[in-house]
Amino acid sequence: MTNQTEFQRLVQDYLEGRANADQVAQLNDRLREDAEARRLFREIMNLDSALHQASMRDANAPHPLPSLTDSSELTSSARSQNARVHPVRRWGVSILAVAATLLLAFCGLPWLMGPQQYATVEDAAGVRNLSTGDRVGREPYQIDTGTIELVTGRGARVVIEAPASFRFESEQCLRLNYGRLAADVPETAHGFTVLTSSGKAIDLGTKFGVDAPEAGEAEIHVFEGEVVAQSTDGGNLRNLRSGEAFRLQTVEGKVSAFRSAAFIQPGEVTSLDAALRAGQVERAHLATEKLRQDPSLIALLDFESSSRRPGVYRMVQGRWPGSQAAEFVNVGDHMKLDVGGDEPWPQLTLAAWVRLDHLGEPYQSLLHTDGWDDVNAGQVHWMVTRLMTMRLALRNNRLAPEASTKAGFPDSITDVSSEKGRWVHLAAVYDADEKIVRFFLNGQFDGETKLSVALPAKLGPAQIGNWNTNDRTLSGRIDEMLILGRAMDDEEVKALFESGNPYR
Amino acid sequence: MLMSDTSRHTRFLREFACHEEAIRAYVRRLVPTRCDADDIFQEIAIVLWEKLDEFRQEENFRSWAFGIARYKVLSWLRDKGRRRMVLDADVIELIAEESEREDPYLEMQRKAFDSCFDKIPAEHQQLMTAAYQPNVTIQELAATSGRTKAGFYQWLYRMRQMLLECIQRTIASEANP
Repeated sequence: MTNQTEFQRLVQDYLEGRANADQVAQLNDRLREDAEARRLFREIMNLDSALHQASMRDANAPHPLPSLTDSSELTSSARSQNARVHPVRRWGVSILAVAATLLLAFCGLPWLMGPQQYATVEDAAGVRNLSTGDRVGREPYQIDTGTIELVTGRGARVVIEAPASFRFESEQCLRLNYGRLAADVPETAHGFTVLTSSGKAIDLGTKFGVDAPEAGEAEIHVFEGEVVAQSTDGGNLRNLRSGEAFRLQTVEGKVSAFRSAAFIQPGEVTSLDAALRAGQVERAHLATEKLRQDPSLIALLDFESSSRRPGVYRMVQGRWPGSQAAEFVNVGDHMKLDVGGDEPWPQLTLAAWVRLDHLGEPYQSLLHTDGWDDVNAGQVHWMVTRLMTMRLALRNNRLAPEASTKAGFPDSITDVSSEKGRWVHLAAVYDADEKIVRFFLNGQFDGETKLSVALPAKLGPAQIGNWNTNDRTLSGRIDEMLILGRAMDDEEVKALFESGNPYR
Repeated sequence: MLMSDTSRHTRFLREFACHEEAIRAYVRRLVPTRCDADDIFQEIAIVLWEKLDEFRQEENFRSWAFGIARYKVLSWLRDKGRRRMVLDADVIELIAEESEREDPYLEMQRKAFDSCFDKIPAEHQQLMTAAYQPNVTIQELAATSGRTKAGFYQWLYRMRQMLLECIQRTIASEANP
């Protein structure tokens, strides 16, 4: 045993470059004769490689994230990065030419340390510590609010939504500790790689998204083109194509449901930022406060309160930097609600800001009261159908003979996902006295359905994002839901949309 | 620029991403220091890229890459190794050969490493990874951790020994559930 310990010491001296000529000679002899020694030697060297690769994975990770609220700290941290001189390696021009941009840029090869600035902030909406034109190098960043759009030196466009923590390891390699990211990678930046704690995504010419929660496994979503995904521990490589999603689990990884609306896309940040600059947050806030004074208000959910409503859902960023929205991902995810009591509501306005994916078939639930019974005539089910139109169904209501809708329920006309991936404002206005349901998309009147039987609406226990009787998914985020016990007119709905619109 | 050949890039990246760690580890087992291993690995990456057209789809990329790596290591030994404390070529050949045969097992060991490494206290993890950073001076690192240089190496050796034992135990326990 002592013999083995001594041998281990000898090997370790060798691998640290501390062995002298005598020791190397000794090692040569031992290895030449002894197969068991060779086995141990290989295992120690193999361990050294594993340690080396682990240290490359979290290079700089031991340094705590500097808080970047103060811009002077940012510059000083950038300066200390610059101060560290990287040894210049010997590279012939011919090799560079042959290896081509792609190979050189590959994440796993640390030799193209190159410039210290990897990307430029093209747009920042509501991000406190970064603004348009800032250059981003290898220093770590944490953004608590807002959304940022970066362009790398090779032209990869990356949108990162708060809360997020990230760091460029090279121009072609971005480590995302947590947060949500969408990348649009042109040919010049092929091979652009996003690393997360549970695995990596290597671009092969694509638009893709990475969703890395603070705790749990990251997901890769491919909007267009092809991506190679690899779980950290699994080693198994996986090719993903348009419309596919993959969860980077330890070991194997798993196919998951594709979501594109979950990601803020390049281009969107510009109009989010423009709206912020135009004072939309204040405007929205004033409008919300005014609604709270409305005597007919039944509920106004803005998801900002610290007390969490019961249910199964995630809290994510809402339309405004640092605001909150509820996100539903899996079938059965829901938020419970009990408003409006036993009262009959002859007039009702339902409105919500949503970001929806084309999933959740056959129905995406916006608001489903529990059950669907004759004893509960007038109970309300508000949803998005398979055709991505809105439906407002009330139990035991009947359509007027002239109503043209095929499905037997009042449905809207326009596809609500026409702006898929963006926030849209949905509204439905019900009037039992007028026997009519009117639909609005982004403040614009969409269509109306006449009824022959129109009962007063019944609310009470309900779920957002699901129906308690039969699972329905709302695949996406919902921010601000208004339930109002009177019928808003066209102007009011338009004003509601305009005051809450996060885009300009 | 060779930008036009996207499918070639794609193909290479796919294979390379999959086998990069194994190739790095293979090279590491054959050369004395990490720095040498990095340098040689980079040269190998370029050769693999250049010779990609010679690689046939039905072949195993890893063993193809190992072959090229082995050749590169041996020629490095001939050119630069003379001035350094390196092992004899025949010993390296022996290690290379067995190393290739044993690769699946060594890969298992590297996987087991991750869980073993996770088990050691965070400050030890940080100190170890710090010791592996390219431009680190052990002298300074030893000082910041309150050790002498020799003491620091002793600690590092002990940590490696412990990790290796953990790896061996992990694999043994997986073999006999």
